[in-house]
Amino acid sequence: MVKVKIDGVTIEVEPGTSVLAAAEKAGLRIPHLCVVKGIYEGASCRLCLVKTPTGRLFPACAYYVYRDEEFISDSLDLRIERKVNFEFILKFHRMECWLCPRKGNCLLAKLSKELAVEGTPVCAECPLSPEECLLTKGVPCLGPITLSGCDAECVESGGPCWGCRGPISRVDVLENAFSRYRELGIDTETILRKADIFWNSLPEFEVVKKVFNRVRTS
Amino acid sequence: MPWSLLDKCCEKCWHSPKTPCPDFINCSLSGPLCHSDEECAKKRKTRLEQLQHGEKGAKIKVPWTSCTLATGAEAVYQAVVDYISKRGLDITVSISGCYGLDFIDPWLEFVTKGMPTAIYANVKENSVPKLIERYFLDQDVSGAFALKEKTGNAKGEDEVPLLSELDFWRKQYRWVSRNCGIVDPESLEEYIASGGYKGLSRALKMGPDAVIDEIQKSGLRGRGGAGFPTGLKWRITRQQRGTPKYAIANADEGDPGAFMNRLLAESDPFRIVEGLTIAGYAVGASRGFIFVRAEKPLMARRLQRAVEEARKYGLLGTNILGSGFNFDIEVILSAGAFVCGEETALIAAIEGKRAWPRQRPPYPAEKGLWGQPTVINNVETLAHVATIMAEGAEKFAALGSDRTKGTKMFCVTGAVKRTGAYEVPIGVTIRILVEELAGGAPDGVKIKAVQIGGPSGGCIPASLLDLQVDYETLQSAGAIMGSGGVVAISDENCMVDVAKFFLTFTSAESCGKCMPCRVGLRVMWSILDKITQGKGQEEDLEVLKQLAETVRSTSLCALGGTAPNPVLSTLRYFMDEYEAHIKKGVCPANVCAALVTYLIDEDMCIGCGQCAMNCPANAISKLASGKYRIDQSLCVKCGTCYVVCPVRAVKKTSCSGGGGNG
Repeated sequence: MVKVKIDGVTIEVEPGTSVLAAAEKAGLRIPHLCVVKGIYEGASCRLCLVKTPTGRLFPACAYYVYRDEEFISDSLDLRIERKVNFEFILKFHRMECWLCPRKGNCLLAKLSKELAVEGTPVCAECPLSPEECLLTKGVPCLGPITLSGCDAECVESGGPCWGCRGPISRVDVLENAFSRYRELGIDTETILRKADIFWNSLPEFEVVKKVFNRVRTS
Repeated sequence: MPWSLLDKCCEKCWHSPKTPCPDFINCSLSGPLCHSDEECAKKRKTRLEQLQHGEKGAKIKVPWTSCTLATGAEAVYQAVVDYISKRGLDITVSISGCYGLDFIDPWLEFVTKGMPTAIYANVKENSVPKLIERYFLDQDVSGAFALKEKTGNAKGEDEVPLLSELDFWRKQYRWVSRNCGIVDPESLEEYIASGGYKGLSRALKMGPDAVIDEIQKSGLRGRGGAGFPTGLKWRITRQQRGTPKYAIANADEGDPGAFMNRLLAESDPFRIVEGLTIAGYAVGASRGFIFVRAEKPLMARRLQRAVEEARKYGLLGTNILGSGFNFDIEVILSAGAFVCGEETALIAAIEGKRAWPRQRPPYPAEKGLWGQPTVINNVETLAHVATIMAEGAEKFAALGSDRTKGTKMFCVTGAVKRTGAYEVPIGVTIRILVEELAGGAPDGVKIKAVQIGGPSGGCIPASLLDLQVDYETLQSAGAIMGSGGVVAISDENCMVDVAKFFLTFTSAESCGKCMPCRVGLRVMWSILDKITQGKGQEEDLEVLKQLAETVRSTSLCALGGTAPNPVLSTLRYFMDEYEAHIKKGVCPANVCAALVTYLIDEDMCIGCGQCAMNCPANAISKLASGKYRIDQSLCVKCGTCYVVCPVRAVKKTSCSGGGGNG
């Protein structure tokens, strides 16, 4: 058995255990996405980075311990690196959450909440499946253009999203959302009027309006 | 076939691959050692003489490597053979490697007993008869590029300089490239005659631990880029318990602008095979692999041939030279991606998997090919090993700087007069490489920066040319030694565009396994693209820097870890150019198409109409005065008119707005 010390917690594990597994054994959470035991060896998403006392970074999922070692799993610079890398992951994500079967059980939405990265819309947390989506019933829901992080409380309790967390700033998501509204025949004027309730003093709302106008005229 | 040094001299010689003689190498040069026979000794002496001057006393050497073939060596070779058979001359024609002086390609070397050896530069096939006639029949060396020695027998000797006196030769220290251009790369006999395989026979008598001691004593560091001490790497591999062990030569050279590995492998492949055999012996490996880039077919063929030749004479296989050491080498073609040069990706490729790097540790020395201890060395390192074992560690350790010993080959390309590969002791300044060896910038331009270390190296400004070339010094200046590519960048280049160019390469070559490299480089590229379009904002620079730092510190392998270097180093040294693009909307070097306006100077225009004829957008029209004018609203800024104008009346300016002539 070897001793792994993570953030001051000492864990005894078999030699050859990954730092991530050691942390999980002790109930410490290190954010991670790519590693799947027996299927994928990991080291891709770079979210589980841990730091050695000498300052070198290693992914916890692919660093195996054979002797007593010490790691830091949480510090300001690690948070920044994780955040940037998570933004990279979201950057090329298609983000049409209203159509996604993972709706309501989205790892990306959970991680963006944990790492304080904005990007995913409320739909990612919405408990309704794509077939039950309020939009398909003609209800003007602001979910597709609102920032996630609320666990979609309003939808949970039966109503549509009111947009209280503010608009998404990613233009491609907004474009997709507006085309979806148009596709389902939902009056976008109603959407904007509804959004005005919470967003009317926000400078980001202007961006939303601009995108909306562009989509309408295209 | 004439008798060769590798053949039995008489019935008394008992060497064969099955019954190897430990003194085979020494014996074939200064033998016979097991018996004394005047006749046998004389046989060797005559043969050595024949190798020097050809069997008929006269020899023409044609370089047969990728670089010379690209400039027409095949046609020259054919012309030489045709002319000799037409005139019935008694001259041997042989192939050789390349000196690494690419500006004289294709060259010819004429050797005759009693005459100075002459090198002719930039030979065209139709000038071959004239050259042969003048040298071999008139005994006149005038017109040659350089001579190897002076004898006083030939006409015109005083006009031609000695090769050893020319700047680019005198300032080199040809240690590992000593045979390049000298020997026939396909002949094991010539390699042994030039002192080859002495290192291996010495190593086999010393024992593995003593070999590692010797390499450690020499202070040799990996020449592939990272500079890890070779002796230490071998010791770690040797101490691992698992068997079998493997030794791999990394010949997957992919950096644009670097060709020293190709040059070595095409001109002196046996040195690499010998070096790998020594490495295998030292770490206790039984199998070796040479991993060659498939895009360099001649290099692969030469190495394959070298392996076969060595096997034929018992220098590979079982019981090598009677030492009980068994070792064989297999040449493997790479999958053709830049990332294959990364050691863990290379191992995956040999295993038949997708060439993806994996997280280290465990390092290949502990867990490499098929999970076994594996030593991986660059081919230049292995060539150094063979030379060190033959010449002794002290001689090597006497060269170089305090921290790094020995010599290194550098490929100097870009805005220089003499493109080529030069070998110098580590620790010389960049100025010596660029200005004294490569001859400095061509007329009319100035060198603005030097990019060292391939696509992941950094750009060092001209003001820092006196920096020593050394792993640590370069690192602190924001560049890397890398494989040793040196690209001189002239003042006609825009540094933002240069950074974008290198990112285009690295982001395309990213294997896609880890996030920072796959996406981060793309995002950085799009920011640079925005800046070169003139749409950059001031906060972009801050974002760019932050992204570069993240990509550098969190990437999985060295590809992503070093790819931001061109961006970081240009941000550090050429901030003014970035700011000019962003704040003034101006490209100081007039390169970025979106920021450049093409104008025709009507005072200089001669009205020839070349520009209008070649304009793809029909944007150029004739005025009543007979001069031409560019319609800025139609211009696509392709730059064709700038190139075709015979009087240089087309001007590039970088003031936004496109006023003036438009």
